[in-house]
Amino acid sequence: MAETADQLVVEGVSKAYRHAIVLDRVSMSVAGGEIVALTGENGAGKSTLMRICAGLLRADSGRVRVAGAVGYCPQTPGLFELLTADEHLVMFGRGLGLGRTTALRRGHELLDEFGFPVGARVVTAEMSGGTRQKLNLAVALLGDPGLLLLDEPYQGFDRGTYVNFWDHCRTWSDAGRAVVVVTHMLAELGRADRIVELPSHPTQDRL
Amino acid sequence: MNESLSRIVIMAEMHGRDLIRRHIAIGLLVALPLSFYFSSVGEGRDAVGTGGVAMAFAVGGATVFSALSSMEVDQRLVMSGYRPLELLIGRLLFLCPFGVVISGIFTAVMSPISHPDDLGVLLLGVCAVAAVAVPFGIAVAAVVPRELEATLVLIGVVGIQLAVRHTSTVAKALPFYGPRLLIEAGLTGRGGIAAPLLEGAFYAVALLLVARVFVGPRLSVTATRS
Repeated sequence: MAETADQLVVEGVSKAYRHAIVLDRVSMSVAGGEIVALTGENGAGKSTLMRICAGLLRADSGRVRVAGAVGYCPQTPGLFELLTADEHLVMFGRGLGLGRTTALRRGHELLDEFGFPVGARVVTAEMSGGTRQKLNLAVALLGDPGLLLLDEPYQGFDRGTYVNFWDHCRTWSDAGRAVVVVTHMLAELGRADRIVELPSHPTQDRL
Repeated sequence: MNESLSRIVIMAEMHGRDLIRRHIAIGLLVALPLSFYFSSVGEGRDAVGTGGVAMAFAVGGATVFSALSSMEVDQRLVMSGYRPLELLIGRLLFLCPFGVVISGIFTAVMSPISHPDDLGVLLLGVCAVAAVAVPFGIAVAAVVPRELEATLVLIGVVGIQLAVRHTSTVAKALPFYGPRLLIEAGLTGRGGIAAPLLEGAFYAVALLLVARVFVGPRLSVTATRS
């Protein structure tokens, strides 16, 4: 699908934690139908930028604009340890304005795509890392967002699921979504339409 | 059902499911005040006051763990459409009845042994401990958002309330003073009810406001839509 209007525009965003500059006037934009790989060294501010774009963290300066709903998949799954997948779907679905039945139906479709054991009465604490990440990803997609912010969402995935994940990214972008994936996997960078590399900052070396 | 109300009910349901599955933790938290009561029951009826106030460990502790275990989820829930206030009310909607149930069980255990003069007021006093312990736990988790530190604050405050004489100035300044007076009133059949109830209510509201002030900025999601 051809790229459409910008779903995400970042203009001159800066962020510092105490004495460390993490982001220094970062600008980027992502159009609908585009997959952008966000790379950079440890501490370059990739996760910080994702959190700012998702609205979870305030930038010190600069501006972020998004065109519609945002689906954010954090590096560490923000899930209840003792709730099942279905309970998470119902809970997050309600926030998105979905009824119990709709949230479960839509969530099961997503989980099924990732090869998640749908319907299992297993709580998050008893899931493997990869299975937990699949649920994390499904929760991010539940509201059918136009912009997907995925912060290393494939941690714990086996090889097959990992390859499928990039296929899914293409499917999502073909459907017109803007997809931003934080990644260190150099071998897969070719599967992104564009690479944005965040520079590291001299002040970080002192930490 | 109203959208906001349905979100509150779902939050209460999910907090309930999450907390009820912590069988061992809840068992230990309930065993703690019971052990306080049974270890001092030989020294007379003061054991009821000790056990009753120690119940703040159970309810406050459960609240702290419930609030802290959902800390990472809360902001994501706000991002998905919940309001921070709905998350708070949803938590209260489960924890307050949970506290009342534990209070009822605890009072049922103590009454046949310690023979209070006014069982109704004693139950009211123990329920008041729970009613203050829930906001207290939420406030502690909001101000000190780490399990170890929050638990130490909980142990410290409830411990001091138990250790000092209830006529001392320090006791009067602590959150469980009002409920303790109610327990004493239930035990002896003497003493007012309105003033301790008001004091407990004041503390509960003040603690919720403290929680709201500290949690609000942490849960805020910046509007970035163009």
